[in-house]
Amino acid sequence: MISFSQVTKRYPGGHEALSGVDLSIEKGELVFLTGHSGAGKSTLLKLVAAIERPTSGVVSVSGQNVGRLPQRAIPYLRRNIGLIFQDHKLLFDRNVIENVVLPLDIAGLDRRESLKRARAVIDKVGLLKREKANPISLSGGEQQRLCIARALVSRPALLLADEPTGNLDAGYAADIMAMFRDFHQVGTTLVIATHDDRAIAALGGRTLHLDHGKVQEGSA
Amino acid sequence: MIGWLRHQKHALTAALRRLGAQPVASLLTALAMGVAISLPGGLFLALGNLDRLAGDLPAQPEISVFLDAGASAAQKQAIAERLRQTDIAETRYVPKDEALATLGSAQDLADITAGLTQNPLPDAWVVRPQTMSREELVRVAGALGKLPGVAETHLDSQWADRLQAALAIGRTGVWLLAGLFAIALVAISGNAIRAQVLVRRDEILVSRLIGATDRYIRRPFLYVGALQGLLGGLAAGGVLAIAGVILRAPVEQLAGLYGSAFHLLPPATIEIVTVLGLTALFGWLGAWLSVMRALRQVEATR
Repeated sequence: MISFSQVTKRYPGGHEALSGVDLSIEKGELVFLTGHSGAGKSTLLKLVAAIERPTSGVVSVSGQNVGRLPQRAIPYLRRNIGLIFQDHKLLFDRNVIENVVLPLDIAGLDRRESLKRARAVIDKVGLLKREKANPISLSGGEQQRLCIARALVSRPALLLADEPTGNLDAGYAADIMAMFRDFHQVGTTLVIATHDDRAIAALGGRTLHLDHGKVQEGSA
Repeated sequence: MIGWLRHQKHALTAALRRLGAQPVASLLTALAMGVAISLPGGLFLALGNLDRLAGDLPAQPEISVFLDAGASAAQKQAIAERLRQTDIAETRYVPKDEALATLGSAQDLADITAGLTQNPLPDAWVVRPQTMSREELVRVAGALGKLPGVAETHLDSQWADRLQAALAIGRTGVWLLAGLFAIALVAISGNAIRAQVLVRRDEILVSRLIGATDRYIRRPFLYVGALQGLLGGLAAGGVLAIAGVILRAPVEQLAGLYGSAFHLLPPATIEIVTVLGLTALFGWLGAWLSVMRALRQVEATR
């Protein structure tokens, strides 16, 4: 599903976030990216979603060379990837269900069908009672679940999560990791950047350890 | 195709919501556009009304051919002969006695004409040529003036020509003004949209991350621009309607003093529709220029 071949990412200013990374992630795998902050976890996820482009090397997702994708093709790549952010990136000028329905609006789905699907996903993350609430009134854990609902609503084959439990206390974090396990069981490919060792231990799965821009296979 | 329509509908409702969310700002922008549009619009209407006034007056292009007082019968015969040629459409002979009688009765000059011991007016022909173009009128008038026994020819349409020339300058002025104010419209719209893009920075960035195309992001802004232009056009209509109501009484009073039933006419439906279409178009254009630039800025400050 995802393969990196000799990928180097150097930011303007000379900082090298990834240097000569080779890795391959199969369809349906659950992979944790670990490493201290600044080790290149976020950069790796951004390269997969074409938010950044590699300085050299080839990043390929589902057989597409993402690093060389023309600008106008990138939106269609992203529609097949669910992105979960540490800072949620919710829109506070609209309520919960409108946040979740946004990816389907963008894809041009029928409004009524979209709302139905959005409601189903909101139910799955346990926010159905808050569907009319403004996200700003939600707790941190609820906001994260809302972000997950938005990532899931278009039923992507690939989920990328950047520190999804970074700001949450242990109870919420366990909830969210349990959710990820469910997605993994229905065949979604998941790549989760985290330094939550408990979560990794609870879920099992493959671990890739990043250190100074290099990747090492680890075990849970 | 259905997806496309769905996107248009979605963008339109989003645009309406955005306009409705900032009613005061939307209204002020519409008003600024309205005032700008009402200037060329008002001038256009004024010229249209003046044109109609000119058309109402007897501007039938005629050539008056005044005969020499001492013209011989043979000369008069030759002139009558010449007037039967094919370039002349219509002729009317006005003997000097009839002219004097008409003058006396028509213009309350009876006391003056009654005081005359002899008729100072010449015999005359009133001639209408076959072709009404300005060149032809001048040519025919010139040719008739050279005939022996003709004292003078006079083109009655001269004042009408001058008025038409003045109106033509006015019309050119309207187009110049309209062009300038179209630019103003684009600038006003562009500025309003730029502010909107910057306010919606987060939404734009998030939408990009979850797969929005540039076109998807642009579309609601373009609709806002077009709707804003449309509102501006309607505001201009309001301004002109109020001006029309205020001006109607004095204009009718002035016309009454000239014994005319002239009154101001509002623009035709097709003109209103055209102006609204153009204002929407220029609003859209301003939005487009502004969105292209502002989106690049948003991208750069990510």
